[in-house]
Amino acid sequence: MRSATEPNGPGKSPNARRIRAGFERWNRKLHFYAGLFLLFFMWLFAFSGLVLNHPSWGFTEFWKNRKQTNYEREITVPGPEVKGDLGQAREIQRQLGIAGEILLTTTRTETNQFDFQVRRPGHFFFIKADLARKRVTVQQDDVNLWGVMRVLHTFTGIPVENAPTRRDWALTLVWAYSMDAVAAGLIFMVLSSWYMWFELPQKRLPGAVVLSLGSLICGLFCVGLRWLF
Amino acid sequence: MSGRFYRLIRDLHLYLGLFISPFVLVFAISVFFVVHSWRPRIASETSTIRVVSALPLPGDLPTLSGRPLIDALKPTLEKADVRGEVGFVRHMVKEEKLIIPVTIPGRETTVTISIASREATIVTRETGLADALVSLHKSPGQHGPDIRMNWFCMRAWRWLADATVYLILFISVSGIYLWYVLRAERSVGCILLLAGALSFFGMAYALSH
Repeated sequence: MRSATEPNGPGKSPNARRIRAGFERWNRKLHFYAGLFLLFFMWLFAFSGLVLNHPSWGFTEFWKNRKQTNYEREITVPGPEVKGDLGQAREIQRQLGIAGEILLTTTRTETNQFDFQVRRPGHFFFIKADLARKRVTVQQDDVNLWGVMRVLHTFTGIPVENAPTRRDWALTLVWAYSMDAVAAGLIFMVLSSWYMWFELPQKRLPGAVVLSLGSLICGLFCVGLRWLF
Repeated sequence: MSGRFYRLIRDLHLYLGLFISPFVLVFAISVFFVVHSWRPRIASETSTIRVVSALPLPGDLPTLSGRPLIDALKPTLEKADVRGEVGFVRHMVKEEKLIIPVTIPGRETTVTISIASREATIVTRETGLADALVSLHKSPGQHGPDIRMNWFCMRAWRWLADATVYLILFISVSGIYLWYVLRAERSVGCILLLAGALSFFGMAYALSH
């Protein structure tokens, strides 16, 4: 199907015209193919972004409405072959059968007391291991769908900037690269839309006005504020 | 009638899309920096230090905290020629010091005021474009809603961030309509939509269960 954006400009070889028409057709197709594939991801990040920006919206409250369960388990103390806090946390996590990203948030002061967290969207596990007693107490907090949405938006596996940490759950890595893919898809959609707009001569001027206006406002925040203040 | 409706939706999709496209780029590019906690060092960070004296301080300083404290410190910061979004103010009672972080996208300023001498040491760090994009991506954010957005520029940014979301929702819905009108593309589009839904819900399920 021929697109309304396809050119019919004179003065070019038929081969060049064919290549250009093919490029335009595929640019247009890929624009909406990417949009359709990424639709649910875009809606998640857009909607959860809105929710994150409005913490005062009471209906999105998740932490106060969480379901909390506490339990105790016996464990086998990780042996000397298990190296470091992360290794010990992984071993205890494996014994408890909990899946998720490990967070080492407290500095260990006693060798027999070891506290850490495991998180995954919708579930927070606060684990306190008493290695001398070979017992672990687990506080599990399960949050509602709003909580799942918020965590999905921010679930990168690297909680603190420049923290000496890396992702230790395979699914965190998959999700992090999915975020990259969605971002790359959005960048492609913006660039392809600019090309499609530019190929419509009658819409170039009004389009240039709105694009310039958007760029000016956006540029003001990205670089302009530093010059002005 | 349907032709006019189609043209109206197509034009709105185009013009509104062009308007928000720079904002979408800001959010999309900064994703890479946020997800991987990485910043490209295009230019080296610069840092300057200056000292300002005879600063006015609010009389009821010890009784203030949170947003009222930030509001009361605004004239002090203005006198010191420091503008921007004020973060969490630390009042170090024993040392008689106030530490005030002030940010503008791409710039971090730390104002340390000695309450006794009313003298301030101001450290300004230019952190660059990538950092500016990240700080805009995270603004206003979920933390400290009582103190955040205390600078009019960042209040305007909150409004723009919200507008970007609403326009993305409109553009995606209008895009679905524009795709659906193209009969020849329906089957491929449906497959991609389904594949996207499966990937998304499959991943969300695997992460949360």
